[in-house]
Amino acid sequence: MLLRYITRRMLIGVVQLFCLVIAVFFLIRLLPADPVSRLVGLNSSEEAYAQAAAQLGLDRPLFEQLGIYLGLYPEIAPGLLQGSLGVSWATGSTVGSEIATFLPVTLQLITLAFFLAFAVSIPVGMLGALNPGKAADKGVFVYSLFAGSQPEFWWGLLFVYVFYFQLGVAPAPLGQLSPMTFPPEPVTGFMLIDTLIAGEPAKFVEALHHLMMPVITLAFILSGPIIKMVRQNMVRALQSDFVLYANLVGLPRKRVARYALRAAMGPSMTLIGILYGFMLSGAVLVESVFSLGGIGQYAIRSVLAFDYPAIQGVVLVITAISLVVYLLLDLIHAAIDPRIAY
Amino acid sequence: MTEFSHDVLLDEPAYVPPARKADWLMRIGVTIVTLVCFLALFGPYIGPYDPTRTTIRIAEPPPGLTEIPGLMAGWIGGTLDHPPHWMGTDANGYDIFSRVIAAPRTDLKIALLANLLSLTVGVFFGLVAGYWRNWGTELLVRVSDVVQSFPVFILAMVLVALAGRSATNIIIALAFVYTPIYLRLTRAEVLSQTSRGFVEAARAMGNSELSIALRHVLPNSLTPALIQSSVTIGFAILLTAGLSFVGAGVRPPTPEWGLMISTGANQIVLGEWWPSVFPGLAISLTVFGFAVLGNALERRYEKG
Repeated sequence: MLLRYITRRMLIGVVQLFCLVIAVFFLIRLLPADPVSRLVGLNSSEEAYAQAAAQLGLDRPLFEQLGIYLGLYPEIAPGLLQGSLGVSWATGSTVGSEIATFLPVTLQLITLAFFLAFAVSIPVGMLGALNPGKAADKGVFVYSLFAGSQPEFWWGLLFVYVFYFQLGVAPAPLGQLSPMTFPPEPVTGFMLIDTLIAGEPAKFVEALHHLMMPVITLAFILSGPIIKMVRQNMVRALQSDFVLYANLVGLPRKRVARYALRAAMGPSMTLIGILYGFMLSGAVLVESVFSLGGIGQYAIRSVLAFDYPAIQGVVLVITAISLVVYLLLDLIHAAIDPRIAY
Repeated sequence: MTEFSHDVLLDEPAYVPPARKADWLMRIGVTIVTLVCFLALFGPYIGPYDPTRTTIRIAEPPPGLTEIPGLMAGWIGGTLDHPPHWMGTDANGYDIFSRVIAAPRTDLKIALLANLLSLTVGVFFGLVAGYWRNWGTELLVRVSDVVQSFPVFILAMVLVALAGRSATNIIIALAFVYTPIYLRLTRAEVLSQTSRGFVEAARAMGNSELSIALRHVLPNSLTPALIQSSVTIGFAILLTAGLSFVGAGVRPPTPEWGLMISTGANQIVLGEWWPSVFPGLAISLTVFGFAVLGNALERRYEKG
């Protein structure tokens, strides 16, 4: 039953991704941008222009271009069916390999930020839910409303000013390691793991130090919606029959709160998934403030360079990961909550 | 003979409107939103300097708290050679205060128009998709789902960068991004309304389907979309500023908060905090104001 559910979700996901690929493909070609003149310059000769257009495959009919991208003509160039995301027009290397170097940076950043945000939000949200209507609850409510509506890039800059310029406890916002440090051999692409594989604990600490501020910035923004959700689901769980029963039989308050928390976490998973998917591209502003070189910055670079294959690749990969995360969290939800069966 | 009192005739107590308990938080929200709307109308004219013209004073820090009374007196007395730069000047010599109060004209205009456009289009298609259910409207909902599964920031960036960096294109891009939200909200509400008695009554009275949809179902299905508006306007301001910050928004020297933060971002590691901090504070408060207002509306109307 579970296997059938997963297969069904995967199939729907593939259809959704296919529609997305088609939509992105036509959307960026409908917009009045000229990627060829961006590459060869506005004052280039007609021959140079035509040559560049031919090289990018832009002289072919639109549907043939789509066919090549999807991989229906493997003799011309490998496409999606062959597992290739195409070649970047700006750099000439394959989009797949470029995404593989940029994506782990973002995954590492947002995963750590989610853990931190969770660690802060659960006790704070519970504080609000266990004292409904009291001053603590109101404070928690105002905080979550505030944190959830903030310009994260500005907070990043503020943190840079306070912790780097004024206090000197944080490193300069210049990347994952300081510019003088030689990065370790990329194995997984995750800086924290690669430094450990290379056996260089000093660089591990340095990478952690450089991640500190961007993670705190993102966790601050994320804590807004997460606290709101924990509080809401917790209040609902505290009013449910099994909590009433637990109170009636005289279980200690702490234990009842723990039961209620478990029940509250289930429905929270859906929102966590949506937030995580959103953050894959939503972390872009924090990435650029701290020059981390994540997938969001790759997206900015590709968009500003009119690099169509790269844009298509980024959108496809980000959406695909979001769909997988949604599925995983739905499965976790089912594992936590015994009432749900697929 | 005593006069008839309606209260005596009716068993039920007289109708008492729900208490308008505006808490302090909502007052803050309303104040902020009112102020920003005021600045959107008059901001560009009331600043001491032209927001799009540079001065000869470059990267001048704002006056310290102790200097403000003296400057104030000198300014009113007319003994200063130029009006004070209350928030300093940036690396290009623009007066930051004049630009901060001129920016709502740009930011709020984009946010309001984008919201109005997506609200109109989304509610229209939501009504159509909810009231007339067939394969065509089903397709419409699926297309809107695909648009919604798109990464928001990248979609907005692609639309603006490829169509050209102008306020109009930002408005269209944001409207495109937000339309599926309204479509979904309105459709869900329409679906829940069509099974209710008043729709059947309207049909029994001989109204045409079109008139039932427009005159009976639509007004009863607007609440969720209108509440969402306040939240969306706030997020549209954040998105507009974010687009400018990465170089895919309005062009300089348009006074826009995100652009101002971006201009100051390089100076902040050198300790020049004022070019970024003041516009950021303005965004922070504005979006918070809209979020508070949206939340208050939600609590007032969604439970009733």
